[in-house]
Amino acid sequence: MSSANRPHKWHQWTLVAAAFAAVVVLLVLPLVVIFAEAFAQGAGMVASNLTSDDMIGAIQLTVIVALITVPVNLVFGVLLAWCVTRYEFRGRKLLSTLIDIPFAMSPVVAGLCYLVVYGGQGLVGQWLDDQFNVQLMFALPGMVMVTVFVTCPYVARVLIPLMQSQGTEEEEAAILLGASGWQAFWYVTLPRIRWALLYGVVLTNARAVGEFGAVSVVSGLIRGETLTLPLLIQMLNEDYNTVGAFTAAGLLAAMALVTLLLKTVLEWRQSSKLNAAEETLT
Amino acid sequence: MSIRVDGIRKTFGGFAALDDISLNVPQGELVGLLGPSGSGKTTLLRIIAGLEKPDRGRVLFNERDVTTLDVRRRKVGFVFQQYALFRHLTVADNVAFGLRMLPRGQRPGRDAVRARVRELLELVQMDTMAGRYPAQLSGGQKQRVALARALALEPEVLLLDEPFGALDAKVRKELRRWLRHLHEQISVTSVFVTHDQEEAMEVSDQVVVMSQGHIEQIGSPLTVYEQPASRFVFDFLGHINALEGLYDGAVWQSGEARLRLDTHGACPDGALTLYLRPHEATLAKAPAGHAHLPVKLAARSVFGGTVTLELEPRGWGSGVLEVELDRDTWAALAPGRDETLYLLPRSLQTVTCDGDLGPRVAPA
Repeated sequence: MSSANRPHKWHQWTLVAAAFAAVVVLLVLPLVVIFAEAFAQGAGMVASNLTSDDMIGAIQLTVIVALITVPVNLVFGVLLAWCVTRYEFRGRKLLSTLIDIPFAMSPVVAGLCYLVVYGGQGLVGQWLDDQFNVQLMFALPGMVMVTVFVTCPYVARVLIPLMQSQGTEEEEAAILLGASGWQAFWYVTLPRIRWALLYGVVLTNARAVGEFGAVSVVSGLIRGETLTLPLLIQMLNEDYNTVGAFTAAGLLAAMALVTLLLKTVLEWRQSSKLNAAEETLT
Repeated sequence: MSIRVDGIRKTFGGFAALDDISLNVPQGELVGLLGPSGSGKTTLLRIIAGLEKPDRGRVLFNERDVTTLDVRRRKVGFVFQQYALFRHLTVADNVAFGLRMLPRGQRPGRDAVRARVRELLELVQMDTMAGRYPAQLSGGQKQRVALARALALEPEVLLLDEPFGALDAKVRKELRRWLRHLHEQISVTSVFVTHDQEEAMEVSDQVVVMSQGHIEQIGSPLTVYEQPASRFVFDFLGHINALEGLYDGAVWQSGEARLRLDTHGACPDGALTLYLRPHEATLAKAPAGHAHLPVKLAARSVFGGTVTLELEPRGWGSGVLEVELDRDTWAALAPGRDETLYLLPRSLQTVTCDGDLGPRVAPA
């Protein structure tokens, strides 16, 4: 079982209490305040704010961005993890480091980079505009692109250590038994990584829904057109629409809490499965 | 199906794991690849399976070149050292996996698969465990499931990587006999890798002794033991005692120790090392005319019919010597505490100063 001790001296208890206090003050209290502020002028105001055109538009846009981002990064992350853990090639380490760029880089910088390259004045952006009359920035495509960029490491980062520790023998066994590469992936690899994969998806989704910095640079903040929920919160706050801002914030916070719940369930599920396997061994 | 390996070379980043390996495995034989870790035996097995591509050379099944043939079309049965069972599938589903992967036209129906799985699990005596998951099985049970899975597609070649490596001594012995028996039943051409001399000796028809990417010797277990082709083979097959000393054409000497040896001129004067197998010597309370090797008993262990003795040389040599006597001889000897005993070798292997094996000699 766990190797940790119960705290038994007064300073150990103080440390635990301090940790709890910090969590309450820094994390729980603001969350409570959000919901309190949203409902400050009654549920009716919340309902009317929730059904306003801006809000519905923002919710739709947020969901659409997430719906495109998550599958793209699901496939991308699995491919990347597969490459890094299943093949031995020059530059493998480099590739596995490059995956982390979105983690290391401020999202605003990422947004600006995309703006410079794909914007109306940018190299690629200008060419696309001239040739196909396509505008990526200040529209849905640009917002999806930066969200994909910002969230692309999550799935790969969850899968790589797992797939590394699992090794390749089971896949080799499958292929020796006549499975094609695709069959080996579908019947052997995927069942072994499915919980980790779901976990990666949950993280990706949480980040995609909540992304502010990068998206705000490339969205152009066009009301009713390119505002996602986080951008709408900022806009409503600047308009002194406190209830509106907090309603949108509450909605986002609720999504985050659901995500957290899902993540906890998945983690619990994975560890209890592991424990069950270990227990039957002994 | 016969297997022929022809001039195989394989390097990993400049390191030659296998260097010009050629080998013939006749139809239906059980061949053991024996060598220390790093000798290239597992790489050779993986090349035969198609899991690794050789840099040079060919692999032939029934004289058909399969070097470039895809793994999944080679139709070999392969048992991994760590079994590599699909941990998310039950025992029955593990065994059925190969059958379910067959193309639609060749795939047997649901009932046929079930019948085949039962038949295989009965063969490996695991039919009562069909519904269990790999994590719920012991090492020996996993091993048998892995074997059943490898046999499901009726391969004509069966390859086993350290099949008993991860098992405890008793289970290992049992499974060894059982594999030998199974091989007689189904007569599939089999190659297995091991670093355990006893295992290779007991199970194989032919033993291939490997070291550092080379084949040192190929032969029946008896041949490689009785007529080792090199010092390495002699060294590797069972424990040996190395006695170092000087030879003058008639007498070998080292400190207090003397041995009269007639090598018929095969060994030049000078440094001469003698290899002594533990069971090729006896002990006496007095020296013999041809052998004067005083020793003191350091430790003994009684196990089964033999007594293994650790002897400390008195006034010669360096390390502890190991000698095996049968129980009766030991009982008759009954030495006192600290009594000096005399080692009487029956047969010795000479090793010349350049490290080659010289003739076998008996002191006289």
